[in-house]
Amino acid sequence: MSRVLARHRAILLAYLGMIVLLVITSFFSEGFLAGSHLRTMVMLSAFIGIVALGQTFVIIGGGIDLSVPWVLNCAAVLVTLMANGSDGPLLYAIPIALAGGALVGAINGFGIALFGVPPIIMTLAVNVILQGGILVYTGGAPTASAPPLIQYLAVGRIGPVPVIVILWMLLAVLATLLLSKSAFGRYLYAQGTSATVAEFSGVPTLRVTVLAYTLSGLTAALAGILLTGYTAQAYLGMGDPYLFTSIAAVAIGGASILGGSGHYIGTIAGALVLTILTGLLPALNLSNGALLIVYGVVILVTVSLASEALSDFFSIIARSIGRKRDA
Amino acid sequence: MDLIEATGITKRYGGITALSDANFRASAGEVHALLGENGAGKSTFIQILAGIVRPNGGTLNLNGSTFRPGNAREAQAAGISAVFQELSLVPDLTVAENIWFRREPLSAVGMVRKDRERQATLDLFERYRIPAPSPDREVRRLTLAERQIVEIAKGLSRAPSVLILDEATSALPPRETDWLLGLATQLAEEGMLVIYISHRLAEVRQIAQRITVFRNGATVATHDTSAVDDDTIIADMLGRRMDRLYPERISTATDRVALRLRGLSVGSRLADIDLELKEGEVMGVAGLQGHGQRELFQSLFGISRARGEIELWGKPSTIRSPRDALIGRDGIALVPEDRRSHGLLLTKSVRENLTLSVIPRFTRFGLLSKGRERALVDEMLRTLQIKAGTPDQLAGTLSGGNQQKVIFGKMLLTQSRILLLYDPTRGIDVGTKGEIFRLMRDLAAKGYAILFYSSDLPEIVNVADRVAVLRNGRLAATLSGDEISEHRILREAMFEARAA
Amino acid sequence: MTLALPDETTSKQAADASAARDRAAWFIDRAPFLVACTMLVALVAVYGSLREGVFTLDELNLDSAAAMTLLLAATGQTIVLLRGGIDLSIGGMISLGTVLAATQFGDNPLQVAACSVAIALLGLLVGACNGFLISVLRLQPFLVTLATWSILSGAALMILPTDGGHLPDGWMAFGSDSLLGLSSSVWLLLLLMLFWVWFRATRLGIAIRATGSNERSAELSGVSIFRINIATYGLSGLFAALAALYLTTQTGTGSPTIGKDYILPSVAAAVIGGISLFGGRGGLIGTIIGAFILTIIGNLVFVLSISSYWQPIVSGVILLVAVLASSLAEKSARRSLS
Repeated sequence: MSRVLARHRAILLAYLGMIVLLVITSFFSEGFLAGSHLRTMVMLSAFIGIVALGQTFVIIGGGIDLSVPWVLNCAAVLVTLMANGSDGPLLYAIPIALAGGALVGAINGFGIALFGVPPIIMTLAVNVILQGGILVYTGGAPTASAPPLIQYLAVGRIGPVPVIVILWMLLAVLATLLLSKSAFGRYLYAQGTSATVAEFSGVPTLRVTVLAYTLSGLTAALAGILLTGYTAQAYLGMGDPYLFTSIAAVAIGGASILGGSGHYIGTIAGALVLTILTGLLPALNLSNGALLIVYGVVILVTVSLASEALSDFFSIIARSIGRKRDA
Repeated sequence: MDLIEATGITKRYGGITALSDANFRASAGEVHALLGENGAGKSTFIQILAGIVRPNGGTLNLNGSTFRPGNAREAQAAGISAVFQELSLVPDLTVAENIWFRREPLSAVGMVRKDRERQATLDLFERYRIPAPSPDREVRRLTLAERQIVEIAKGLSRAPSVLILDEATSALPPRETDWLLGLATQLAEEGMLVIYISHRLAEVRQIAQRITVFRNGATVATHDTSAVDDDTIIADMLGRRMDRLYPERISTATDRVALRLRGLSVGSRLADIDLELKEGEVMGVAGLQGHGQRELFQSLFGISRARGEIELWGKPSTIRSPRDALIGRDGIALVPEDRRSHGLLLTKSVRENLTLSVIPRFTRFGLLSKGRERALVDEMLRTLQIKAGTPDQLAGTLSGGNQQKVIFGKMLLTQSRILLLYDPTRGIDVGTKGEIFRLMRDLAAKGYAILFYSSDLPEIVNVADRVAVLRNGRLAATLSGDEISEHRILREAMFEARAA
Repeated sequence: MTLALPDETTSKQAADASAARDRAAWFIDRAPFLVACTMLVALVAVYGSLREGVFTLDELNLDSAAAMTLLLAATGQTIVLLRGGIDLSIGGMISLGTVLAATQFGDNPLQVAACSVAIALLGLLVGACNGFLISVLRLQPFLVTLATWSILSGAALMILPTDGGHLPDGWMAFGSDSLLGLSSSVWLLLLLMLFWVWFRATRLGIAIRATGSNERSAELSGVSIFRINIATYGLSGLFAALAALYLTTQTGTGSPTIGKDYILPSVAAAVIGGISLFGGRGGLIGTIIGAFILTIIGNLVFVLSISSYWQPIVSGVILLVAVLASSLAEKSARRSLS
């Protein structure tokens, strides 16, 4: 039992941090823990959580996906343009947008696995190209509004539970299953730990890499489509915050950015922590700038708490104090 | 008076005791060998001498006064220079830059004087007749042997009074080994203390005046080399009389050809290899360092691209990646040269490592069956007697010998009946070595076909049924039966070179 | 072992072979850099064919001025990449630097000078903090600098929520000053090259490269990783602050969000110029070429009078082409080796 606790220390810390934040926040802001407010927060977390799902897979596999902002944005723009406010065209618009996201992810994966382009460079270049592409395509103007079905998926409810949260939980179960119970998950962790050993062990590295990035493109596109339902329309730049938050959620959730460790369960906590923080600051009357500062500090604090170096560090300090006393 | 005098040194890492009672005395002007199985505490002890590790207790004297180095630089300043197995060279710096790294000659504005650095390097090579590569070559372009020599040169460049050589010959070809053995003797004659760590008893006998044996973190005995026989030393190391290191060689080869190569070539490093490996056969691959052994093994496992034909069990096959090699019973499995960076996921469990290559064996519809995985793991832990607390122990926390056993287990689970073993006993204790050789013979008896390279020639001589000798990337000879001897292998490996 | 005699024929053959290999290796190592040079020449040729007066000092002065902010930022990034790290926080530092300059400078030359020095020192300090966190907490540079980027951007936004502030006229004149026909930015460029020639041959420069090449080996050889990290990221922060100061001479305002436009291009410039993301290999001259490639793409888009939205597309494609070309060149060169 204690071994399990130790292994998942980082994830536990993320949830602990989330609870502490909730308690603190409820002190400062009345009604923060009210059902409606909590619901909004979980909904907002869902968007981060869905983008971060693919990011989790990519990071566990030892990569990083910097192309999520504009994959998300492109999918959002494409779907709203194709649907033009009505539900009918969604029948093909949604599959096309999702397939587009998956395709971009697959291109990332191929570039990285086949040609050895460093992930940062590959996904960065793709992100920039998509950004330019969609700007040229739309001429930089805001685009059409989201059809009712997407608005329902994003903000509608089944009983007290928002539809998007149900969707998120389904995806979470799927992701957890993939990571811990599937051959793909096992390969992904192996590859993230050491690409060379994975290669020598016969792991299908090309397939695993392409699949991980494809998943990331897919979830980014999905989040983009859903986000139009929340904001009621697609606009340029709507994906930008998700570069930071998707990586931050994974990191806060206890994954090593170098790959080989982490879990989606942790990422969920990461997404919740980030959203609670966003909600906390207006309550404290703090500006946007302050939010960025708090974001940064929280990332630093959580990743350092999860890092084994910190406990080593304290033991070194304790030892050196002890040594001084000896002398 | 003894130059180094260590009494009752202890060192604990967390709950693990690495050294419980290490005693060591050595004087200037001798070559003093330090022997012991892996995990006996030799490495920890020399790391303490070199200032990399601080002991928990005991006294250490250097030249009669207390010696407590806080870091490597302090130990170096006190005249102790250690050449470790784990190489300390920086790949992207040149040979000269590496040797004088952190001690570069500087100009008035703080820039390194390249010309002086280069000259100092050449002088150093001249002084000790070091068979080193050009000072201007980048270290990442050097072979393992060349790097080892540069490492030794770096150790010598500090003009130490104590030189520690840790398994320095394990990567060296015969000629360079002879140079190093000669150098150690010469340095001792000039008054230096050379502490020599090696698994090769023959070398130790050749140069060391005294031998200190470690076992389980404590000193067992110090012998005069001339007054002690091999059996006593091995018994000291193991704590019991050793069974025979090499199992009896009973050939189990059948007529069936497991692996047939025709005209196999890799660039210009390996050319036109024709070879037949039989079912039940252990074939040794011998040759001087860098004469194509690595390329042969790599190309058979799909890591280097090769031209030519490969037949597995009579069927032509193309091997472009390890995945093409690892195809179950008719495939090829490899024990790689570098177990820490090619063989094992050090931060993952023994279980995950063992089954990494055979995930499809316990997967249905893409989902893992933990129960069936457990059965495979337990079987291997039992067969190979891997000493791990639980299958969930991290591979990186195992001893070198047990790590190698995990790699063997991983390879056996693939069910491939053609096995490539590239230097499987390098840096492994005598006890595990014996187990590995017995395992090889058992597997051969079961019909496996084994291709085996070792950097320690006697191992090939004593284990292999036939020996393929490579020279300049070509097959120089295939020896069998009584033809197999160290002398004959070396002659075949060098013949053409001498005639030319 | 009596057979182990030295043999001149083989050693000569071996020496010849290894010399040939070293020559091939020289090209492999410089393939990314050579590709970048080729691309720059091609771009300049296209640019020159589309527009009059490209091959004049005026054009050099203009392009240097346009490239200098990116180049200063990329210099810091180059040092960090050579050490095998990455610094995203320069985005925050550049924003904060411009904001501080625009709010604190006033019109008194002495105060301007003092503030400039203070901003540069702040950059050094912030970078050193990055290095400290990375070493002591053993955290990944990507994460640490992601976090400090956020913190610094937040600080910039709190000081100046929107673009604005005031900079003295004399300060802005610096960008258009010239000496011997060369603008201040060209002189800065030369100064930067001089700095690099010196820096890469110092013990610190070598140690940074060595640490990026193989941290463990460097440490075993007596390098203090802690000090190297402080120095590396400190220098990166310093150059980011200098980039911010230079930027204000061009824009004349403080901008709390402008820094993010330099993070990824700074990495791109270095990578296009042949710096390996894995550390240890490459140099500033490559980065300079990379920065000029990115700048001239901007000019080309302008000259062709197509939508400015094309600029990111072209830069992205160039980045990919550069990386792909160098990786393919390396592969083919390696094949010719064996």
